[in-house]
Amino acid sequence: MPRLICHVDMDAFFVSVEELFDPSLKGKAVVVGGKADQRGVVSAASYEARRYGVHSALPLRTAAKLCPHAIFVEGHPERYRECSQKVFTVLNRFTPQVEMASIDEAYLDLTGTDRLHGPPLRTAHALHEAMKRETNLNCSLGLASSRLVAKVCSDQAKPNGVLWVLPGQEAPFLAPLDIRKIPGVGKVTEASLNSMGIHHVGDLARLDENFLRERFGRWGLALAGKAKGQDAGSWFDGEIGALEDPKSISHEHTFSEDVADRTELETVLVKLSEMVAKRLREHKLYSRTIQLKLRYRDFTTITRAHSLDHGTQFDGDLIAAVLDLLQRNWDGATPVRLLGVHAGSLKRNEGQMSLLDEPAAERLRSAFRAIDKIRDRFGVSSISLARSMQTNLREKTHENPYDLPGKAPQEKEESIPPARKPKN
Amino acid sequence: MEFSVSKSDLVRELGLTQGVVEKKTTIPILSNILIETDKDQVWLTATDLELGIRCACPARIKKEGAGTIPARRLLDYVRLLPDADVQVKLQENQWASLVCGRSRTRIAGMSRESFPELPQMPDILARLPLAMLSQMIQRTIFAISAEESRFTLNGALLVLHDKGIIMVATDGHRLSMIEQAVPLEVEDVYKALLPKKAMLEILKLASDNGEAQIDFAGNENHLFFQIEKRLLLGRKLTGNFPDYERVLPKEHSHSVSIGRDDLRSALERVSQFSDERSRAVRLKVAAGELQVHSSISETGESEETIPVEYGGPDLEIGFNAQYLLDFLRVVDQTEVEFHFKDSNSAGELRPKAAPEGVNYRYVVMPMRI
Repeated sequence: MPRLICHVDMDAFFVSVEELFDPSLKGKAVVVGGKADQRGVVSAASYEARRYGVHSALPLRTAAKLCPHAIFVEGHPERYRECSQKVFTVLNRFTPQVEMASIDEAYLDLTGTDRLHGPPLRTAHALHEAMKRETNLNCSLGLASSRLVAKVCSDQAKPNGVLWVLPGQEAPFLAPLDIRKIPGVGKVTEASLNSMGIHHVGDLARLDENFLRERFGRWGLALAGKAKGQDAGSWFDGEIGALEDPKSISHEHTFSEDVADRTELETVLVKLSEMVAKRLREHKLYSRTIQLKLRYRDFTTITRAHSLDHGTQFDGDLIAAVLDLLQRNWDGATPVRLLGVHAGSLKRNEGQMSLLDEPAAERLRSAFRAIDKIRDRFGVSSISLARSMQTNLREKTHENPYDLPGKAPQEKEESIPPARKPKN
Repeated sequence: MEFSVSKSDLVRELGLTQGVVEKKTTIPILSNILIETDKDQVWLTATDLELGIRCACPARIKKEGAGTIPARRLLDYVRLLPDADVQVKLQENQWASLVCGRSRTRIAGMSRESFPELPQMPDILARLPLAMLSQMIQRTIFAISAEESRFTLNGALLVLHDKGIIMVATDGHRLSMIEQAVPLEVEDVYKALLPKKAMLEILKLASDNGEAQIDFAGNENHLFFQIEKRLLLGRKLTGNFPDYERVLPKEHSHSVSIGRDDLRSALERVSQFSDERSRAVRLKVAAGELQVHSSISETGESEETIPVEYGGPDLEIGFNAQYLLDFLRVVDQTEVEFHFKDSNSAGELRPKAAPEGVNYRYVVMPMRI
């Protein structure tokens, strides 16, 4: 029996949620992410703003130039999380096999649900309507035999549409599309493929697998599979609903003005460490490698890591490590544009226990359990370390809320090796 | 300055100073060795500002004086000379000439003016057999923390009191303590933090002269160890060493007696299948047996069972195999006792029959795996 995968993508999610709370925004060019003159990037743009070329990940200042009349809003992470929860509740009624890929999209495995819900399109329409009725939000649905094609489908169906690609029709459906439509193909790969005369998925599908392997290594094989509509490579491989631990957890902050003040940098690092530590605890993971990321005005970026002798998920350990890394690696004068805290070498258990600090560690554990409960109930900013109270960083909102089933957030884009030179 | 020495004497004494010579070249003079003439010998002095060492080498002095010569280069060269007398002559321009048989060499030295002055040894606090001190060092040094940021744990605690000496080292995960009963004439309890590097140098000095006595002294900043004509001094570590007595378990619920080599070889084999970084193994005790088990998913697993006398409850405790091996590799006695309570409490290893007057305890915290 062919698989039936449904990809649900909420339409302009952040903007739509903002419109629910402020109907005056409806039909206008709206940009979520921050003020027009701030540094940082667009989190989401309304369809009206997109007409002017505004899209997510675009610098806010560029967005303001492209669409000067747009309404810029900071965004409300707690509202998005609440709505995401509602979206999940609707999806979960159709199948228990739901995987939230991020805060506003999900994969559903609908294989074998026809006796319950009817044929695929009827199921999709029922879901589409239920979503509108219960959340007041529009979404687009893609149905196909693989996750990859389902995702491409929902994109093609936007806005507010449903698209089903019949089994066997995957290749003809993909062939005329631009190669950028394949998840995992970014600017770099696109340029590299274009230089070989490959512009559409069909061009790619016609290529010899060996040729792709030679040019792009193992990733080339995955690319060949993707061009044929298969779930090949990285996380497209997994089963829906199968939880996977993240490889690393990180948070970054770009200053609206470059900062050369040690206290200010340290305050932000403390805050970022708190955010990373909280997520470590949410995922029930312990990190043994703490990394600091520094980006200067000229975009030179350095990362420096410190390995701990035990696993940790506590703010204090992360803070001590990153502040020490800052001390050792920052000259104390060069203005900093971006700071990041990254926790790697993640394990399910803390590993070596402490001989000297065990009673204190136990008290710390229960203190943080209490802190996390307070945050869950009253919001992340309701309680924080005194040292980080001076900052008010916006939360990162794109990832899947931790309490919903789904793959852990992907930390990096799929890393794409540069094309190899063909052997002579 | 002009003198002649036997090649072998010079190589031996220079060899002892090498560990103290500064490896980095931030302060060039510290890469040099200070040579000073004195009656029928020359004094060789090296320091990296943390440690200092002063050794004597018998010599025939022709002209008194002092100067410094690059230590590493001097030893590397002299080592290659034939076993004969070496004539050393220091010129006004700080160049040293070395003549031995048909070999003639000139080495650029530096003026002694900029060589740091070593502090003077204060009154002696205690005189001990060097072998005893070096044995105590060997039984604790491995537990010293390699984490630079935990500077109070980068050495061992040395306690002298009227009935004996105690040495304790810990890295926060395990703690090794050895207590040696020996009558000492100390008025108060004397405590100091001995840096690891000084301990290594003492071991080196002991390997050259096992029978000797060692005179120990300390002032506000430094610790001094005099072995006959050789003086080692080290800057004390500052800070508060953890309250080790609080960490030593007062009592254990369970214990087994086990052959040192049985446990050691089982751990060595099984830990081949443990995570390279954490070295985690599981020790399982059940009626009549102790099992060592380890696995790495998708790589392999290994287990070994050792018969022991045990009638307590079944228990499973995770440990870093390396930590247990560190103890088993230095303990003299062939039977050891393993004491434990549960998977969240510290375990302890001890020699089963320690010699009279020796109390050796090794406490290891488990791993959560």
